[in-house]
Amino acid sequence: MSTRQKIQILGTGCPKCIKLTEHAEKAAKEAGVAYEIEKVTDIRKIMDMGVMITPALAIEGEVKSVGKVLSIEEIKKLL
Amino acid sequence: MSKKEASLTTENDTCCGAESKAVILGCSGGSNVGQIANNLMIELDKSGVGNAYCLAGVGAGLSGFVETAKAARTIVIDGCPVACGKKVFKNYGITPTQYFVVTEMGIEKNHVFEDLREEMAQALSYIMEKI
Repeated sequence: MSTRQKIQILGTGCPKCIKLTEHAEKAAKEAGVAYEIEKVTDIRKIMDMGVMITPALAIEGEVKSVGKVLSIEEIKKLL
Repeated sequence: MSKKEASLTTENDTCCGAESKAVILGCSGGSNVGQIANNLMIELDKSGVGNAYCLAGVGAGLSGFVETAKAARTIVIDGCPVACGKKVFKNYGITPTQYFVVTEMGIEKNHVFEDLREEMAQALSYIMEKI
């Protein structure tokens, strides 16, 4: 049984959040990683994760970046 | 939406870090100056300088807190030269954007918590001149 990596995009839906989502999906596909994307848009949930600047990226519950749009290659290295 | 929720940096103000507010971390230690550091953090939040933030979260190594501390403009306020806040940051290779120590504001460290109003006013006046 393959395990899907849980990728979370934290942000309220601004253009940069959307761009980060696109990059994450492309990165996972190019890396051949089974994944699921969750968009976390609830500010309360975002702050509960300690994040004060969006967009942010979390993989398997670990916040990997805050306040920037990582490139596809950068995200591949995190998967 | 509560005032606190609205303070997250999002699309409606400076989404994605452009001109984000500072995050402010006070040491909150077990002395008058530790509590003054904590109170300063709250007063600076109230006055709109930045958002009060959780030094314990960074110290605990919680990823969201550590990554936010790396990405944000940060104001760290320690109570005394033991500098726990600064050292927490150093553990993660972070240098605060602005750094203050309450004992350097003419306030002596002690263990008296009864009435900190005068010392608090002195410290707030000091810090507001520097920010």
